[in-house]
Amino acid sequence: MQSDRPGRFNDGRSASSRKVMVRAMATGVEIRGEDGFLIAVWKTDDLVADGELPDGKGVRLRCAAEPDARLAIADAVFVREALSVPPKRFRPVRWGLAAGLILGAGVLIGLYLSLPDLSRLGAAMMPPQTERAWGSQIAAGFERQMRACRSPAGSEALARLTDRLTAGLPPERRAVTVRVLDGKVVNALALPGAEIIVFRGLIDEAGGPDELAGVLAHELTHVAERHPAAALIRGLGVGVIATVITGDASGLVASGLVTVMASAYTRDDEAAADRGALALLTRAGIGKDGFAAFFHRLEGREASGGLLPAWMSTHPDSKARAEAVETATAAAKSLPPSLRDTEWQAIKAICGGV
Amino acid sequence: MTPEPIFPFRHHGRTGAAVRVALVNLGLNIVTLSFWRFWGRTNVRRLLWGGTSVWDDPVEYTGLGGELFKGFLLVLLVVYLPLLGLYGWAQVLIAAEDPRGGLMLAGLYPLTIFLIAVGGFRARRYQLSRTLWRGIRGGQTGSAVGYALRSMAVWVLVPLTLGWALPWGEMMLARYRLGHTTFGDRTFACDAGVKGLYARMAVMWLCGAVYLTLAVGFAVLLEQWGIEEEAGAFYLAMLALGAVFVLVVPWAWYRAAVFTRLAAGTSFDGHRFTAQVRTWPLIRLVLGNALISLFSLGVLRPWAAQRTFRFTCSVMAVDGVPDFAAIHQSADHGPSTGEGLVSVLDGAGEF
Ligand SMILES: [Zn+2]
Repeated sequence: MQSDRPGRFNDGRSASSRKVMVRAMATGVEIRGEDGFLIAVWKTDDLVADGELPDGKGVRLRCAAEPDARLAIADAVFVREALSVPPKRFRPVRWGLAAGLILGAGVLIGLYLSLPDLSRLGAAMMPPQTERAWGSQIAAGFERQMRACRSPAGSEALARLTDRLTAGLPPERRAVTVRVLDGKVVNALALPGAEIIVFRGLIDEAGGPDELAGVLAHELTHVAERHPAAALIRGLGVGVIATVITGDASGLVASGLVTVMASAYTRDDEAAADRGALALLTRAGIGKDGFAAFFHRLEGREASGGLLPAWMSTHPDSKARAEAVETATAAAKSLPPSLRDTEWQAIKAICGGV
Repeated sequence: MTPEPIFPFRHHGRTGAAVRVALVNLGLNIVTLSFWRFWGRTNVRRLLWGGTSVWDDPVEYTGLGGELFKGFLLVLLVVYLPLLGLYGWAQVLIAAEDPRGGLMLAGLYPLTIFLIAVGGFRARRYQLSRTLWRGIRGGQTGSAVGYALRSMAVWVLVPLTLGWALPWGEMMLARYRLGHTTFGDRTFACDAGVKGLYARMAVMWLCGAVYLTLAVGFAVLLEQWGIEEEAGAFYLAMLALGAVFVLVVPWAWYRAAVFTRLAAGTSFDGHRFTAQVRTWPLIRLVLGNALISLFSLGVLRPWAAQRTFRFTCSVMAVDGVPDFAAIHQSADHGPSTGEGLVSVLDGAGEF
């Protein structure tokens, strides 16, 4: 049985539209001009369904062998007759999508897990001079915003305490700059290179030289293990990855994610710094009780519900950490205070006293 | 004697379909951390293009999400990350109080704006090359750098002239875009000028100036009288309401003229276009789109885009039928990857 159906044909070479008669054959469709002249033969295997005409006026067909040509046929039933197999539709993307999702999730998890090691590697590969220059640049930035505190007696006492603690570090990491800045925050920071910043608020809060020694030992461990450089590289990595994934060029998503991820990653660094601090204190012959007391002091502030000291927000779980410090085996006998009282008073008054 | 205008454009896409695509894209963007956006944008375009017909034959969009994705990755590596590095370096120099830092930033800002303009022109080239009708490809010739330099000149001159360079500038850029738009082996021609635009520009400008003077004047008066919060809120509400009438109406009146002049200045194969854009329908379109985008937090932008398509198709006319048999397929297949610069530096794609 042969049946001719009217249609419109675009040959893909010019933009003209010509009226044609379309005939269904066993092997495909024949497209003839109104004069009966054969224009094209499209094989069944090459036929691609190309959607419907608006208002149900018919269907459109394409041919894989002639990608630019188009055929519109007014009769939808005809196509079902003409095609022994249902016409190929656009390839379903479901499997590809699922595979893509799994692959994407896998890549993300892999990045999440490997980022700490990668950033540590990055920090280790960074030349020491570069790291030092980077750190002192950041420190200089802090000093422009807050007054740097120096006094002959106070600075001398602080240097003595620092030297006692750094004696336990490898020789190439011993040259550390400790700056005291006149800020109210109860905090201390380790920067890339060999920079430690202690804010006046932390010295005010500390109840004795051993407490300050504990905090210094903790920050010195960060410096020795190059945590700050690794953390900054990690933050950069998180930011870049967030930008790549979300395409947000404004940096809002990136900075938000950097903050969230930073707290997820710092725990390991902090635990390592606490362990290292205990080792440094023991080597220097300083009791660990002061370090634990400092955590308890912060915990008290936490319970009283006041403004959280900054050192706590960067170093959470003070109670658990105090317990960890207390249960750690250290020198059993009670040790003398790490500084004489006059030295301690000099440090307390380093910013001009109150 | 002018021939009777023909209205060959029609948009028959349904609102429900646009909303459905928008919601599906939202869901997939969430689970893929917005990685889906390249394919999502492609689906929206397929819907908008495919819902449009010209002389009863549908327009097709043949772009692929993967092409947009590849373009994005390419620009990310070659342009965005190096640029980010340069910005970071400039910041470090500034932190170190090195004067070269400020100098670098002064160069980086124009460079970024330049790249955004280049990206916009290249994105249009990609979109047109993926736009087919009767199997024949559209396209764009011209130089992205030339267009970007012209754009920057306009962006500098408009504020310098307190807005008076706007009609000249935007018509000049539109002439460049339309005059380099191709269909098959033919190029559109555009000689749209600023005729009639400056009168409407003057009204718009004066309304803006009066509004600004009144707003500032009232604020000063209220400050001197020392009124309470409630009166202040009332004042703000009146100010916003006033803006709709004093600013939006003249603005729409001006835009309608821009649209009309642009269409009237454009021709293809010797046949001129016309657009019968009136002010009120334009206000309804633009305010409606703004509300849709605002209240859906941008999610339903495909719906807004569909309304724009529908509006444009309903107003565009042409004064004759081109000799389609003489228009042949273009030899240019267009760029192989798409829109990288825009999708990285600009982010928000409309559709
Ligand atoms: Zn720490």
